[in-house]
Amino acid sequence: MRPKDPQDTVQACSDIPLKTYYTAEDIPSSHAQRTNIAPGEAPYHRGFHPSGYRSKPWRIFQLSGFGKPEDENERIKFLLKNGETGFIMEHDRNTADHCYNVDHPEVLARREDVGLTGAVMQSVRDTAICLDGLPMDTSFGHAGGAVVQHAPFALAAYWAVAKKRGYDLSKLAGTGQSDFNLTYLGCVTKQQIPTDAGLRFNGDIIEFCTEHLPRWVPVSIAGYNGADTGLTPDQELGSLFANAVEYLDEIQLRGRIPLEVAARGCGGVSFRASIKIFEEACKMRAARLMWSDLLKQRYNIKDERVANLRIHCVTAGSKMAYQQPMNNLVRGALMAVSAVLGGVQSLGVSGYDEALSIPSEHAHQMSVRIQQILMEETGLTDVTDPLGGSYYVETLTAQLVEKSWAFFEEIQTRGGYLACLDSGWLHAKAEENQHKEFMQTESGEANIVGVTMAHDDSSPFEIDGFIGTDDAFDVALERLKEVKRTRHEKGAKNALKDLERVCRSSDNIMPIMMDCLEAEATLGEVGDVYREVFGDWRTPIQC
Amino acid sequence: MPKRILMAKTGLDGHWRGPTIVARALRDAGFEVIMIGMATTAEIVAAAIDEDVDLVGLNVGGHIDVALRAVDAVQSAAPDMPIFAGGTIPPHACKQLQAKGLEVFPPGSMLTDIVDSANRLTGLSAAQ
Repeated sequence: MRPKDPQDTVQACSDIPLKTYYTAEDIPSSHAQRTNIAPGEAPYHRGFHPSGYRSKPWRIFQLSGFGKPEDENERIKFLLKNGETGFIMEHDRNTADHCYNVDHPEVLARREDVGLTGAVMQSVRDTAICLDGLPMDTSFGHAGGAVVQHAPFALAAYWAVAKKRGYDLSKLAGTGQSDFNLTYLGCVTKQQIPTDAGLRFNGDIIEFCTEHLPRWVPVSIAGYNGADTGLTPDQELGSLFANAVEYLDEIQLRGRIPLEVAARGCGGVSFRASIKIFEEACKMRAARLMWSDLLKQRYNIKDERVANLRIHCVTAGSKMAYQQPMNNLVRGALMAVSAVLGGVQSLGVSGYDEALSIPSEHAHQMSVRIQQILMEETGLTDVTDPLGGSYYVETLTAQLVEKSWAFFEEIQTRGGYLACLDSGWLHAKAEENQHKEFMQTESGEANIVGVTMAHDDSSPFEIDGFIGTDDAFDVALERLKEVKRTRHEKGAKNALKDLERVCRSSDNIMPIMMDCLEAEATLGEVGDVYREVFGDWRTPIQC
Repeated sequence: MPKRILMAKTGLDGHWRGPTIVARALRDAGFEVIMIGMATTAEIVAAAIDEDVDLVGLNVGGHIDVALRAVDAVQSAAPDMPIFAGGTIPPHACKQLQAKGLEVFPPGSMLTDIVDSANRLTGLSAAQ
C-alpha cells in the first residue's frame, strides 16, 4: 500500500524500516565482503548450487489428501499426472494428529469431520491402499506425520509398505516432518505427548534414519507453521534455528551417531513464502547463511553437504482471501516468485480455494500450472541468485540475519525453544503480531484487494469450496473392525506390550514401531500406549 | 456486570488464530469471554448453561453437520440463546447456519462487525 507521503516510514514485516532507495553504503560492512561469493560457496546465501535451477529445477510438491485412502491415492495420481515431481500424504486430523482410532469418543462426536482434511489411515493396510501404484522407489515421498506424536507411526507405516513391496529402505528417498511449530504452536491438538517426549521421538527418528534410511530426511522443521501463526520473518528464522539446536544438542548428548550426519538430516526445512516478495526472498538467502554460520560456530561443522541448507516452501495460506477467490491465483504466483528468487529446492502453491476448503482438483491443477509457468516460461530459472548484489536485497538480507539471531538469542535466554513453547511465550509473540496485522487491515492502514477495497458484491465468479467424500468415517470404522478381526491378535498385542516397555526405557522406539506396524497394531492402540506412558502436554493457550 | 460470551471450536482442529483474535476484540469491547477450545456438542451445551452466558460463539473449521448439531443442541436446551459463528465456512454452509438464525463471519470479516453483532445479540444495542 502506498504511504500518504513518500517520506512516511514504511516497515518490512520484520519491523525493519525501509528507505526509499538503497546504495552501496547501506550494505553493512560485515556483509559487503560476502556479496561477491559465488552461489554454491559458503555461507551459501547466494544459493545451494552454482548453476542453480539450470542443474536442478525445484520439486513441485503439493499437500494433498482427503477422504478414504483410495480417494487420496487418486488425487496424488492426478497431481503426478499433471506434473507434480514428488508426493505428499495428508492424514486425517481427527485420527492421525490425536493418535485416535475412529471409534474414540472424541472422533465419534464429530464423525462427519473425519476425512475432511486428509485420509484416514489406522493400520498399515490403509497406508498400502493410499500408496497403491505410487512410485515409492523413484519418487520423493512425504509420508505425513506432520504432528510429532503421529510421525513414528506414519513413517513406520510407509516404510513397512515399502519393505513389503521389496524396496531397499537404504535407497528410499523422502521426508518425514514431526514439526514442533505445527504441533505445539500453530495448530495444537486436544491431546498430545509433552514436548520432552516429542524431542525424544524426533531424536529416535534421526538416529533410525541414519542407520537404515540415509537418503531420508528424518524430521523437517516448518518455519511455515510459525509464520502462518503470526511470527514475523525474523522470528520465523530465529525460532527455526532455536528448534534445530534442540535436536542437535539432543543428538550430541546421546552421542550415538556422528553429529554431521544428524545435522545433514536436520538441514531439510520449510519456510512460508508470503506476499512481501523481497523480504521473503531475502529470508531464504538469510536462512542458508545462518545455517552455515550456526553449524560452523556452534558445532564446528564445515562440510558443504551438511552446511548447505535445503529449503521447501509453501505459499502463505493465510494470505489467500475468501472474497473473489480467483485473485488468489495471482497471489499464489507472486508468492511462488518470492520463493524462486530465494532459490528454494521445493515448492507448494496454496490452492485458490484455500480460504474455503481443501483444494479442489482444479485448484490443485492450477497450483501445479503456476509452478510450471514459472519454470518453463518466465526466465526465472536462467540465472542463479538473480537478486544478488542488489543494494536493497543485500542490505535487507544482512538486517534480517542480525534481527533473527537476536530473536534466537532471546529464546536461548528464556531456556530454549521447547521452554518457550511450554511457557506460551512464542504463542504470545505470534498473537501480538496477528493482532497488529488485523488492526492494520481494520484501520485501513493496509489493504486486501477484494476484501477491504475493490469490492464486487455481485460475485459472478463465486466458488463454493471443495466437498470431499461422505463415506470416510463409515469405511474407516469397517476397516478398523476388519483389521482387528483378521490380524494375528497375539502378535499385535505383544508388539504393543513391547512398545510400552521401550517407551518407558531410553531405547529407540522406531524398531519396535516397525514391528507394531508389521503386526498390524492400529493407530489408536499406539496412541493409548503414549497416553499411558507420557501423559498429556499442558497447552499454554486457550482457544 | 459485563455480558458473557462462550467461545468454542466444534472440530478437533487446533488452529487458533481466528478465535483468539476475535476473543481479544470482544474483551477489548467490554465482554467477558469464556473460551473452552475444542468441545463436543454436549460440552458446548453444558458450558453455555453452567457459565450462564448471554451469547455463544462457534468457531467452525470442519464439516457443517457437526456445527449444525451443536446449534440444534444449544437452541433446544436454551431456546433464547443467541449464537454466532465464524471460521473457514464455505458459502453453502454459511447459508445453512443463517437459516437457523445465526450471524456468520467467514474469513475477511471485520472485527468491528463482529463486535457490533455481539452488542446486538446481547441486547447492548438495538437490533437492525
